[in-house]
Order: sequence, then structure tokens, then C-alpha cells
Amino acid sequence: MKNSLSLLTIAAFALVFTACQKNDAPPVAVPAYSSTQTLTVNFSSTKPFAFFGFKDSALVVNSDSTTAKWDFGLRLTTFLVNSNASGPGKAGVIMQDGIFASLNTAPTSGYAYDTTSTKLAIKDGSWYDYNPQSHAFIPKAGKVFFFRTADGAHYAKMQLLAVDYAPFTGPAPSQLLYKFQYAYQPSGSNNF
Amino acid sequence: MKKTHYFFTIALALFQLQATAQQRVFKDTLDGSSETVVVTANRSERKMGNVAVPVILIGKKTITQTGSLRIQDILQEQTGIVIVNSALGTSLNGYPNPFGQGVQMLGLDPAYTAILLDGEPLVGRNAGILKLGRLATGNIKQVEIVKGPSSSLYGSEAMAGVINILIDMPAKENIGFQLHHATNNTWGGTLSYANRIHKTGIQFFVNRLSTDGYDLDPNIYGKTVDPYRDWNGQLKITQELSNKLQLLVSLRNYDAKQDNNYQIYYQNLPAIASGYTTETDKSAFAQIKWFLSSNSKLYFRGFYDRYTNQSFVNLDKTGLRFDETSFDQSVFKPEIQFEKNRPGKSQYVAGFGSNIEMIDASRYAGKQNLATVYGFTQKEWYLLSQQLTLIAGARVDKRTDFDLHLSPRLAMAFKPNAHWKFTASAGWGFKAPDFRHMYLNFYNAQIGYSLLGTATLGQELGKLQQQGLLQAGADISPYTNATGLKPETSFGMHVGAKYTSGRLVAEWGLFRNNISNLIDVYALPFKRSNGLPIYSYHNVGNVFTQGAEMDLSYQLTKHVRLSGGYQFLLAKDKQVLENIDKGLLYKRDPLTLQSSLVNRQDYFGLANRSKHSFNAKVLYETATGFDAYFRAVYRGQFGFMDQNGNNIIDNASEMTEGYWMLNLAASKSIGHFLRVQIGAENLLDYTNPVQLSNIPGRTYFINLNLNINQPTKHKLP
Repeated sequence: MKNSLSLLTIAAFALVFTACQKNDAPPVAVPAYSSTQTLTVNFSSTKPFAFFGFKDSALVVNSDSTTAKWDFGLRLTTFLVNSNASGPGKAGVIMQDGIFASLNTAPTSGYAYDTTSTKLAIKDGSWYDYNPQSHAFIPKAGKVFFFRTADGAHYAKMQLLAVDYAPFTGPAPSQLLYKFQYAYQPSGSNNF
Repeated sequence: MKKTHYFFTIALALFQLQATAQQRVFKDTLDGSSETVVVTANRSERKMGNVAVPVILIGKKTITQTGSLRIQDILQEQTGIVIVNSALGTSLNGYPNPFGQGVQMLGLDPAYTAILLDGEPLVGRNAGILKLGRLATGNIKQVEIVKGPSSSLYGSEAMAGVINILIDMPAKENIGFQLHHATNNTWGGTLSYANRIHKTGIQFFVNRLSTDGYDLDPNIYGKTVDPYRDWNGQLKITQELSNKLQLLVSLRNYDAKQDNNYQIYYQNLPAIASGYTTETDKSAFAQIKWFLSSNSKLYFRGFYDRYTNQSFVNLDKTGLRFDETSFDQSVFKPEIQFEKNRPGKSQYVAGFGSNIEMIDASRYAGKQNLATVYGFTQKEWYLLSQQLTLIAGARVDKRTDFDLHLSPRLAMAFKPNAHWKFTASAGWGFKAPDFRHMYLNFYNAQIGYSLLGTATLGQELGKLQQQGLLQAGADISPYTNATGLKPETSFGMHVGAKYTSGRLVAEWGLFRNNISNLIDVYALPFKRSNGLPIYSYHNVGNVFTQGAEMDLSYQLTKHVRLSGGYQFLLAKDKQVLENIDKGLLYKRDPLTLQSSLVNRQDYFGLANRSKHSFNAKVLYETATGFDAYFRAVYRGQFGFMDQNGNNIIDNASEMTEGYWMLNLAASKSIGHFLRVQIGAENLLDYTNPVQLSNIPGRTYFINLNLNINQPTKHKLP
């Protein structure tokens, strides 16, 4: 009896606390949109990047590569972020170590951009281990990518779940399958 | 005159010692009856009972009783010795396994154990592994394995210990002939001859071994191990030049040829490539042993060894050369060693010499030379009425490319009574960066990545950049004048106790090794223009290995001897432990794919190490010339490779299950000269094509041994 009482108190307090926060911070009433997707990514440097936009939660066609419709792009293990050298957008990224489900606030500053084509926001090799025996690109566990989207007004968080070779016949694979999980906050809040 | 006579007696005694050592019945590795003579532990002859560091001894009789022609099979039956695949040499999609298997001792990789033949180091390691198949077993007199850092006597590579394979010495007249036949159309033939005429001794040995190899996965084109044939020849001559001078000359020739036959992709279409690999290993050794006085002697030694490996494959359809590699390494090693013995009081050994090494290989940047000069000294005191032995020694090595390196060792043995011996030893070991760390220039054409040694890195990056093969805008300036690698270093300790009483011999040991400056591969921050990584080497790791070992041997009846051993091993990376404690290391659940923190319990340790390994043996012997020898060897589960995104072994999916090897051999003498042996190896038919492609499944063999050896009355027919 006593226990349930104290639980109630905590619940009430939590409600009040969130309510208070709501008043002086960007609104969180809108739940973040969460999803898991698989992106097919080319191997060869002569093939196009695969672009992804959080807002529409979809692959962005390559003809839109010069628009702000996409947030990040991938080819082999190269990540592009829609900014400066890579695109007209204002997208930025921050990589943090932690548990995806518990990192619920995106930083509001400190985002990295693709300053030049050789100085990209996401350094190749920073997020995976390449295994020379199995040739697998294993994404490092506990890496969370916070994105500010290409419109510069929204936040998303993303983690890679798996990188596998697309089924292939012939000498070498030509495509990778990136499976990732993300949450996009359509309200513009940095809380998920 | 009297003095000369004395010398002569000593010389003769030494010869006899060697002769008796050869014929001595080595009942088991454990036995090492206190009278057995070992040379490796102190670089000079000592009775096994007086040695203060852990030594495993495998005698000729044990080798004969196992019937095995592969030295790795014999080694892996010893406690604490595990035969492992090179981390990079695992069989993948039917590609040949180029590096082979080596010895893991005290939890350290094969590159950290010195392999000596009659006390001299063999060259021709590929990725740190010396192919043990280069050595035949038929002429081995004794194998001595010293565990623990032995750089104080042997220098680089002797970090985990030393395996010294001693070859037969010229003995009384003997003609030996062996015919071997085994599964997979394996045939072996051996001819040996030994004699001593007046002051000259001769020992000749020649062996041919051929096999069809085996195929563990018929779904993949090509065999797992392709057919090969080996020739092995050895000639040893001893000559008493005078009462004070003895000459020993030893020549060895190994020549092997193995088929290469596998499927590749050529212009995006599957194609069959075939060719062969030829290997040669030639060594020459000369030694003059000079008795300066009754208690002191001087050795002058010269050793030369050259190993070559040439391999190619052509496309079957067009005959086009698809791949070709060559490797040529040699060493010349002159050395002088001095020994002084004050009976019952002390023994002293010291020496100096140099290693002049040359390598010329297709995967290396041009022809390279390295020279090392070294000196060592060790003194052994016998105190408290010889109950206590104290040993102090050190060695300095100066190689052209790094600073003087000092490796000391201290050891003691205490024998309070006839039953007990307690030992303790501590030593520093080191391993110099090898040719591959410095000069490798390897581009994997199939995958597209590069691996460059540190000494060639700057130059090669410059070339790649000029040729436009480097990612645009890559900043190579930090690498153009990179500092060289430092030697890997270790500190090891061992404490042990041995109890001998009647039928029982029991031995316990505890060990710990700290290894610093481990050389590991890392990826440069920029890539090749094809988007694939460039790797090089740096000093990075700090790991430790520690464990406990136990050996027991019990003479159950007059005919039956039981023995067994167990090793418990922990081998971990200190940085990983630190990261776990700081909450910096995550793992990914294989099912939910979600990440969570790794805790200490999750961390199994370095890949390829088993926590538990175990062996048990039963030997049955009669006085009428029959023996049967059964051995069971268990290797516990070990880490294979990371699957869950943290580069460490912390999940069951990353492990290889433990397995048993059961081997049995039985032999019977027929008449005076003939001995017939039959046996089976891997009775449980264990195979693991991907991770342990070196294990061929169950095999049977038969050996016919003819030994004509009648020193007493008969003349040779």
C-alpha cells in the first residue's frame, strides 16, 4: 500500500516536471518518429551514393542529390552529410558513445560538416572495424549518430545495426546492405 | 701426459654421455629423470634435475611410440603447448592457407617462440610462423621445450620460450630403414646410417614423404590441403682433431613441392588456377669444441641457413600467369661460447656473436639486410650443500635499427630433500620488429587493400600519391618521416614445484607474462583511391597472459604408465580491461542488434586462446617388445573473431567449441631387427573446415621399421 502510494507520488512529480519543461523549452508533446530501415549501398567509386532523408523516411533519388531533400549519403563506407562540399543543405552530425535508447537529447551545437570532400564530417573508419579475414565491415557497438537535418531545423538520432554484403555472384560483392535504426523529431525539438 | 689423458677421458665421457642420452629410455615428458641431460635451459649441458626453469623433454622413444611423422602432432600432446593457426591464415572460401600452424606457448602467438635446430635458429617465418613440417621426426634425438622468457640466452623471439630440436649424433654402427603408409595415399620412406670409426663419427638420414592431401569441403573447388612431397636430408660428421679439439659438421637439405589448385575469378568469371609451390631450406653448421682445461671449454660455431619459397598459379584455360610470389631469407651466424665448470660450486657460460640476415621477397620492398651483434653471460651457483641453485644471466642485443637491448634473467631451484624441488624464475624477453613489420609492401589484388611496413611506408605513400592511387587530398606528411618500431618486450615469472616419489611424479607451476609495445596493424586515416584501407604497423598493445599448469605421471603397474596434464590460461588486453572499467566498451546483441555495455565477465580474452587445455596418456609396455600408446588431448573453447562490434571476444557466437583429439599407436618387435607399428590419429574424426583446416579427420597408419644394430657380437650382414 505504502509502495504504491510512493509510486503514485513519483508519477505525479514526473508529470509536473515534464509539464514545467514543456513551458520553457521547445515542445515535446509530439512523439519522435522511429523506424528501422535497410539501405542498399554501392561499393564502386564510379557508382552513385545512396541518399537518405529522415523527414520522408525514405531513400532520396539520385537526381535530387543537389537538393536539401537528403540528410546523409553512403557509398561503400563513406558517409556524406548534406552540407558545404557535399550538398546545399545545412545538415550536421555528432557521433556519441552510448545506448541508443537512453540518449534522448540531441546536442544543439557542435555539429560537424563536410567542410571539403577530403575533410568529411564522419571520418571513414571511425564507426566500423574491418575484418580482413571475413572482409566484414562491423559497425562499432554503442555509437549513436545525432543529425541536424538538411533544413537545419530538425534533429534525428541514428544507430547502425548491421552492415552486410548484398547477395552476389562473381568475384567480389558490389553492394552493401546498411541496416539502421533512427528516431526523427518532426516538432523541431531536440528531445526524442 | 697425465693431464692429456684426463682430457681424453672427459672427451670420451662427453661422447658417451651424448650416446647414452640418445639411447636413454625417456618414459615420458614428465619423467626427465634427474640424470637426463638437457642443453637448452642453460645453453650448456645440465642434468634435468638441476634445471631451474620449466623444461619439457620429449625423447626419441616417446616420438617413436606415437608413430607420428609430424612434429606438431607430437608437440601438441604436451601440457601448455597448443598448435594454432595464424590469425590471418584461416582457410576462407577454399583459398589456400598460406601461413600454416605454429606453437602457442604460455598463451603467446607462434612468433614469440624461438625454434632451434641443434641450438641454431631456423629462418623463413611467414607472418611469424615457422612451418614445422620442414623438420622430419625420424632423426630427432630429443626435443627440449623451455617455457618462459629465454631472451637472456637466445635473444629475440625467445619471449614465450624455446623449442630446441636435437638431431641424432653419430653413434655406434646402425642402419635404419622405415616405410610409412597412411590414409590419403601418404607414403614415407626413411634411410639412416650411423657409424663411428676410430675418431670419426657419421650420421646420415634421408626421408621422403608424399601425400595426396585432403578435402574437408567438397562444395568448394580444390582440396583443403593440396598434394605435396617433401625430401629431407641430414648429414652429421664428428671428428676428434686432437685430444682437445672436436669438430662437428652438420648439413641439412629440405626440398618440398606442393600443388596449388583453386578457383579464382578472372574478368568476373570463375576460372581454375593451378601451379605449385616449391620450398627449400638448406643449412650448414660447423662447430669446434676446444677443451681448454679439465673444467673449461670454448666453442667456435658458424651457422648458415637459407629458406626459399616460390609459388605461382596459371589460369588453366589460357596458361596466363595469374599470381606469383617469391621469398628468400638467409642468416649467417658466427658465435663463440665459453664454459667454465667448478664442480659442485658453480658453472659459467658466456658468448658473443652476430646474426646477419638477408631477405628478398616479392611482397617486400627490395632486398633487405639486418645485422645484430650480441653477447650473453650467465653464472650458476650451487649453495647450501648443493640444495640451492642460483642463476643470474643477461644478454645484450644491438641491431642496426634500434638501441641496445638488455634481457636479464634470474632463476633458482631449491631441493630440500630427494622428493621435492621448488623453482622460481623471472626474465625479460623481447622480440625485434621483423622484416614484415618493416619492409612489407603488399597489395591485395582480390580485395584491394594495402599493407605497408613502417620502413617503406613514407616512400610508398609518396609513390601511391604520385600515381593517383591515393584518396584525393590525403595528408601523408605525418608518415613520410615516421619513427621506426620499437621491439616488443615482456617480463615473465614462473614458480613451480615438483614432487617425485617412487611411482609418482607430480609437477605444478604458476606463470605470468606482461607484454608491452605489442606491434599491431592499424588503418591509416585516409584510403586508397579505390576507397579501401591502407594498413601499417605500430607499437600499441599491452597484454598479459597468466595461468597454472599441472602434470602428473604414475607408474600403475610394471607395464602401465598413466600421465596427464592440464593448463589454465587467461590472456587479456589491458587496454580492453581499462575501457570496460571506464564504461567505454559496448557490445551488440546478436538478436536485437541493440548495444549495451560490456562487463568484465563478458570479456573472454585474446582470440585463439583456450582457458582450459588438457591431456591424458596411457602407455602399455611389455618386456617382450610390445607397446601401445593412447593419448587424448583436449583443447577448450577459444575465441575466433569479433562479430558484435567491439573487436573483442565477448560472445558465444565468436567462439570455436572445444574439441578432443584421440590418438592411438601400437607396435611389436618381430625378431631382432623388425618392428611393426599401426595406429590411428583423430579417432573421433573431428573436423572444422573453416577454422581448423589443418586437422585432416581420422587417419590410419602403418610403419615398418628395420633397424640393424648389433654392436656386440654380430657383424653386419
